[in-house]
Parts: sequence; C-alpha cells; structure tokens
Amino acid sequence: MPSLYIHVPFCVKKCDYCAFYSQALINSSEDLIGVYLEGLEIEMAKRRKDAPQGVSSLFIGGGTPTALQDRDLAHLMAMIQRNFHWNPEVEYTIEGNPGTITPAKLTILRSYGINRFSLGVQAFDDKLLSAVGRRHTARQAREAIGHLRTAGFNNLNLDLMFGLPAQDLSRWQASLEEALAYAPEHLSLYGLMLEEGTPLYKRYTAETREKTLNQLPDDDLQAEMQEWAVQRLKEEGYTHYETSNFARPGYECRHNLGYWRGEDYLGFGPGGVSCLNRVRWKIIEDVRVYRSRLQSGQDLADEAGQEPLALQECMAERMILGLRLEEGVNLTAFKNDFGVDLRDIYRDVLERYKAQDVFKIKGDFLCLNPRYSFVANSILQEFV
Amino acid sequence: MAQASQRIRNFSIIAHIDHGKSTLADRLIEYTGALSKREMEEQVLDSMDLERERGITIKLQAVQLSYKANNGEVYELNLIDTPGHVDFTYEVSRSLAACEGALLVVDAVQGIEAQTLANVYLALENNLEIISVINKIDLPSAEPERVKEEIEEVIGLDASEAILASAKTGIGIEEILERIVTMVPPPQGEDQAPLKALIFDSKFDAYKGAISYVRIVEGRVSKGTKMKMMATGKVFEVTEVGVFAPAMRIIEELKAGQVGFIAASIKNVKDTQVGDTITDAENSAPEPLPGYRQATPMVFCGLYPVDASDYNRLRDSLEKLHLNDASLVFEPETSVALGFGYRCGFLGLLHMEIVQERLEREYDLNMITTAPSVIYKVHTLKGEVISIDNPSNLPPIESIVSIEEPVVKATILVPSEYVGAIMELNQEKRGTYFTMDYVSKSRVKLIYELPLSEIVFDYFDQLKSRTKGYASLDYELTGYKETDLVKIDVLLNGEMVDALSFIIHRAKSYNRGRKLVEKLRGIIPRQMFEIPIQSVIGNKVIARETVSALRKDVLSKCYGGDISRKRKLLEKQKVGKKRMNQVGNVAIPQDAFMAVLKIDD
Repeated sequence: MPSLYIHVPFCVKKCDYCAFYSQALINSSEDLIGVYLEGLEIEMAKRRKDAPQGVSSLFIGGGTPTALQDRDLAHLMAMIQRNFHWNPEVEYTIEGNPGTITPAKLTILRSYGINRFSLGVQAFDDKLLSAVGRRHTARQAREAIGHLRTAGFNNLNLDLMFGLPAQDLSRWQASLEEALAYAPEHLSLYGLMLEEGTPLYKRYTAETREKTLNQLPDDDLQAEMQEWAVQRLKEEGYTHYETSNFARPGYECRHNLGYWRGEDYLGFGPGGVSCLNRVRWKIIEDVRVYRSRLQSGQDLADEAGQEPLALQECMAERMILGLRLEEGVNLTAFKNDFGVDLRDIYRDVLERYKAQDVFKIKGDFLCLNPRYSFVANSILQEFV
Repeated sequence: MAQASQRIRNFSIIAHIDHGKSTLADRLIEYTGALSKREMEEQVLDSMDLERERGITIKLQAVQLSYKANNGEVYELNLIDTPGHVDFTYEVSRSLAACEGALLVVDAVQGIEAQTLANVYLALENNLEIISVINKIDLPSAEPERVKEEIEEVIGLDASEAILASAKTGIGIEEILERIVTMVPPPQGEDQAPLKALIFDSKFDAYKGAISYVRIVEGRVSKGTKMKMMATGKVFEVTEVGVFAPAMRIIEELKAGQVGFIAASIKNVKDTQVGDTITDAENSAPEPLPGYRQATPMVFCGLYPVDASDYNRLRDSLEKLHLNDASLVFEPETSVALGFGYRCGFLGLLHMEIVQERLEREYDLNMITTAPSVIYKVHTLKGEVISIDNPSNLPPIESIVSIEEPVVKATILVPSEYVGAIMELNQEKRGTYFTMDYVSKSRVKLIYELPLSEIVFDYFDQLKSRTKGYASLDYELTGYKETDLVKIDVLLNGEMVDALSFIIHRAKSYNRGRKLVEKLRGIIPRQMFEIPIQSVIGNKVIARETVSALRKDVLSKCYGGDISRKRKLLEKQKVGKKRMNQVGNVAIPQDAFMAVLKIDD
C-alpha cells in the first residue's frame, strides 16, 4: 500500500531559505488556489486507481496548507476523502505555519479526520525568525499551539531550526526548552541548509553586510547545538529515531518512516513526487500548466520525465535513507526486495570501516553507530 | 663572392616583453608587402595562442622580406625572431649568431630592461651591428632623451642616431628599413666553400619530418644534398629547401648568406639540435661553427594526471610536445600520493609553465604539478656524486657527506628607489652581493649571486610585488656551490606524502616546515577522524598541526520529494572526493601539492 502526499504549493510569503515549489499569495490577485483545486480534482479522479487498497498514510504538505481559506481547505479535505479509502487508524498529517492557523480551520481539519499536525515553529525568537524571512512571531506560534491542543490534536510535531543567522547555543537552548514546555509528541530539529537559488543563499554566498553582522554558526557550533539537543531530548524521554527526528515512543511519523524504509509513495499536486514500482517522477511545478495538462489529458511529469531507478540506485537509496534511522536497514526486507544480502554486496565498505566501528548489526538490521550519525555523509557516499 | 649576397641583410630584433617587438615585426612585414594587411593576422610571428596571450615569443620564427630601397636596389631582408625570456638565452644566442645586425627596440617610457641588456651583450659578443630604435614615441609619457641616455650609459652605444619610432602608428618604419640596408653589413661567406649551415631552430611537420631553420654561413644546399649533422654525425638526404615568405616556400637552392629551411625526412627533432652545424656529407667542412651546446634542463617537476586513466594520454601529449621541443625531457615516475606520472625537465620556470599550460589547453589534460626542483649534486660516504632532481630520491641523511646546489649570476635593473627592497629580497633569498651601478640618474643595475632554487621558489613574484613591477631580471647559471641543505618530509596521519618533500637550506627549514603544516591544515578538509600533520627532517619532527575530526556532515532533511536530488548530491560529493588523492586513510585535495609553492618566508 503506497502512502499519499498532497503538495499544496502556496504560502503567504516564501521563507528566505526555502527551495521547495510554492507560490506566494501575498501580492497575487489571481485565484491560483481555484486553479489548483480544479486541477487536483481531475488528478485525483485519474490517479486514485494507483491506490486501490487505500493508502498507508497521508501527509498534506507544502508550501503552507493552512494558508488556504476555510472554504478551500474544506474543499481539499472533501476531495481527498471522496477519492481515497478512509481509515481512522491511519496517520493523517497536515502541516501549517503560525499566523495562518485559526480555530475554525482546525475544526474543519479535525472534522475530516486529520489526526496529526506538524507546526513550523522554527524558533521561539522573533529576531531569528525575521532573519530568515519568516512572517510570524513567537507569540503567534504559542497561540497556534494553544489552538491545536484545544482543537484536540494529541499528536503534534514542532519543527525547530538550528544554525540560523546569529543564533548561539543559548538562544537555541531557549527555543528548544520552550518547545519542550508544550510537551509535543514529536520534534523535528533541522540544521539550516543554504540551498542554491534561495534568497538566503545569495545573501550568504556574497560579501554582504548581513553576512558579517549576522554570522551563520559554523559547523562546530552547529554540532554543539545538535549534540546538546540529542542529550536533552533523551532526558525527556524522546527517542532519536531518525537523524533529525525525535518522538515519544509510538509517535514516530508513520508517513516519513515509509520514505526511509523505501516504501512506495504517491505525490499529488504541482511539485508532488511519486515513486511506484521503482519509477520516480515529479509533477510539473506550475499551477496553470498543471491544470491545463490535466484538462487536455497530457502527461503531468516535469522535464525530467519518468525516472526509472536502476537496481543499483534503489539499493543505494535504501542504504542512505535507512541508515538515517536509529533502527537501520532491515536485512530481510533488503534481501526480499533486491535478491541479495546487503552484507555481501557492500562487503568492501563494511570491511573498510570496521576498525572505526562505524556499522553495527542488531538483530535483523544494519545500523550506523550513533557516534557517526551527524557525520554520515562521507560514509553514505560509499553506497552511491 | 656572389653578387646576390651583397643584397642580403640578416637581422633580428632585441626587445623586452611588451616593448613592441611583435608589432614592429608586423609593420615591417606589412610595409614590405610580404603580406597584405587583409592577409595579416595580428602579430604574425607569434603563432601560438599562448604566445599571443602572454605577448611573448616562445618558438623562434623567421621571415624573408623583399625591400626596394631608396637607392633603387631590391634587398632580401631576413628577420629572425628571438624568444624574449631568460629560459631561452641559448636559443637567442644562436639566432643572433645567424645575423649580422640587430634592432635594439627600447620602450620610450620604460627604458632598458635586464633582459634586453643581456641580449644586447649577446649581440655585441657576436659582433652584430646594432641599430637603436626607441619605440612608442607616440605615447604622451615618452621620454626619448632619457632612454637615449640610458642606451649610452648602460650599453655604451652611441644613441644620437637612434630612430624614434612607433610601431603602432607606423612612424619610423621606412627609416628602420633604410638603416638596415645601409648599416647592417651584407653576409660574408663563400658559396663555393664546403657547406656550413647554422641551425637556429627546428620544427616538426607531420609530412616533412623535423625541419631545420638555418642560416647558410658558407656553401650551398639543394634537394638531394647528402647532409651531415656535425654534432651527431647523422646523415640525411635533403628533400626540400626553401625560404619563409612568411609561409614556407620551396626554392631550388639556398646559398651562403641566406636564411631558410631544410627538410630531410628526419624523424626525430633531436637530430636537428639548435646550434648544430649542417655540412655536406660528401664535401665536409673541416670544423663546425662555434657555440654549439646541448640544451640542458635546469628545473624539474612531477606531472601527474588527476584522473589516473589519463596517464597514457599524458605520455602521448608529452611526446607530441617533445617533437617540437627537444629541450623538454621526461621520464616515468611513481609517487605513493599521486600514482603514476612523469618527471619532467625544463629550461626554466617559464618553459615549465608553458608546457603545463599547453598540456592543459591543447591536450585537455587535468594535472597535478609538484613543486619545481633544481638538480642537486649529492656527495655520498661511498665517494659517489649523485644528481638528484626529485627531493624524495635524496639518499638517507646519514649517507650524505655534502650537497651542492646550482647558483646563478643574476642581473637586476630597477629604479633606484627600490634598491633597498631588492637588497632585502636577495638577503632573504641567500644572495651574495657583487656590484651595483647607476645606469642613469634614476636606475640601478645590481648583480648578485643567487641559488637557483631560490629563484625557482617564488623569486619572480616577490620581485614584481616588491618593486611594483618595475624590476627586471636576467640570470645565467654559473656553477655549483656546497650548501647546508636538508630535506623536509611531510607526514599525514603518520604516513609520508612523497610528493610534498622538498630540499631547503637548514637555516630556513624550521620556518618553512612550520608554515607548510599551517598551510596544509587550512587546505586538508576535516574528515571523520583527526589527522595529525607533521613536517620532519629525518626522524625529527619540526612542526605539527592537527586537523580536527569532522563534527557535522549530514543532510538535515531527506523526504520523498527530494530523495533523487539528495542521492545525486552524495554522488557529486563522492566524485569531488575521488578527485582528491588518497594517502592511507587521508584524502588530500590537489591544492595541497601546490601549497609548498605558496609560502612566504
């Protein structure tokens, strides 16, 4: 059973570090959301057949799904419910940003069965928020958390970022401590990455005044932030189940586990990515083109088209994703899926790092020694 | 004496880089109509792209001009171009030996430079008639009177008759041609005597074989002549002879006094050595022309392909360059750090840079170059004398009695305000002061003895930066001197990186060893584990730094939407890492091998 992802490519305004496809609504007079929803109707009718047994999880992401108005949000939810088999046992997540969350929207989402909410807090610190172009304040985040709990969301994730311009260890600690005060079931802690093409990348690769005044924490400071967080969350009883993700036992994100374990997924909406039977493709990142192609029955894939994954690439991905998990890569699943034992096919790599005790076998899993989880890239490169 | 040779004039142009030699040559060619303006590519004589870019001549060229003088007679003028760099002094001396006259071109703003001076002396040694030309007089800052003064002061030539010219605008061109006709003596030499032809350059042609560029000093040569190379004794049958017009034009016969080329299906350019004398095998000259010597490389470095699979391509490319450049020598070499490559020998630093650049541009090779080394003479306990051109081949310290290094006599011309800076530089470079003379009110000529290894290190860059580019340098090898030299090796994570070893004077060794490890610490990226960097002399560690272990190197996010992108990112990083060289467990970026070169003492 594949998982289902719906991309909602709209934000009030894009954040400065964001490289995902999203349209800013702030200065747009067009009814792009209407165009999007029209397209999505056709797409769902057409592609629902790919999930005949229903879906293993749902994630409505973006962009900012909560940037939609009440009416549009209800429209979107009704559409999903109409097209896909609904099972209350399944994890249904939506993500949203403070400043776009109202009790009314949350009531709509709850009524349609959304049972998990992922909130983009990033920092409880207005200076840090504005330094990366986020529109909301810490206060709005606090209010949003209140609304979410009131509305009955008892599976809540908070996203926090470290490595922000001018952030030091104590400011990071302050944000994380405040997050812990709300006892979220799940926390995602992301190190800021400068992605090419983003405003932040431009500002921090050129010699700007901002770069000098608001320096980015160096790798060592980022490592300290990360290490401190791991320790602190462990004390609070969270499991560090993936490189950047922490959860109270039983609250690990089902949907994301699917990606890391190499399961199939369907992505809908412009920018949505699907991977089914070792073919991956992305929907063209343009709302108007998206709708018109659907109306005229054309292929939705972007310029890269359908990307058939070689066996080699699939195995590499299984390793680089699976080793992000604390549990590691499942040996039996690997053998069933690829017909080889990973201990045979990657024997050389496993040997080479033996002296440094990089890999561990635990039951039916191969995992990374947690000591290396934050310097994994040079190891993961061995598998690609 | 044949009447014809009375109307031949053989001359060359002596000038410093940028003083307008190539432009002047172009104007002469254009004026005499050897090529129409439309046919002329800018600066005909500098035919390599590199030469044009750098504004210097690397390979010699020659051109025959036909000039109708004011006296009504038509003269054959042969212009032999000379390379304008210290690395090629020997080649310059041979092309000057092929002439009876020389144009001394001096920039009306810059004045005389060291290189010019050296070449003028060479011309005077060869008894050439020298015609002074002060070029670029169209520039507002031109000071012809000061330059004249310098010519008289420094060289001792009467500059009152110096021609004021501008090759750019054409001023003075006719006067130059007239002066060549009237001042430069016609070639002497009997065309009935046994053949003596001086090779002043050679070039490889895919169809004709190695072609000799010659000045016929005596006798005559034509198709079918059995010619003999007097240095090697090898005999070839001439297939064609001709002149440069400026393209090669085949003619019946070359006679005493003329400049042209001889082709004889010679397979190897080594058989047409610059300075050698060609004679007639059946009617040999009793002795060769004076001045021949074999080109000897002075500077060596290792060239390694970045991609090991390019090794054969590197060999083929070196062989192709060698076809036209007998002074380039190379032999296979293996390095633990860099794999398979070649040890190459060059006439000097510029020659080295040119070869490197040509390999990169014309042959599309991506290479790692090790720090240049000179040839050291090592006296061992066994009483042997070993020549070492690669520091990592130096025998163990305990078996060495002494080491000698090559020294040069360096002539530096510089505005007097920079004398202090030059003295300081030469002090740092272990120089020995010889003399200082004022060549004009504001310029000074300094003569020093310097170790060649110091010149090879970063002398030119320092000279330029400390004198704002106003100093010029010339040097000649004068011999070997015993010095207190040591070898510094670099250990990464305890393993020696052979390509980083270098030989240095003991007094400088601690400082350089420390600077190098500091530099390497900045270049070697942090890796999964800690990496100690040490510089050692023998077993003794003289400096140590540590590259601390990496603490953060991870993709913070990886979800369904960007798995492909993240996989490709890792693939790209992997390729980047592969480009580094591996010694033991340590990945070393290419920059590290250049670091040895870029250290301020």
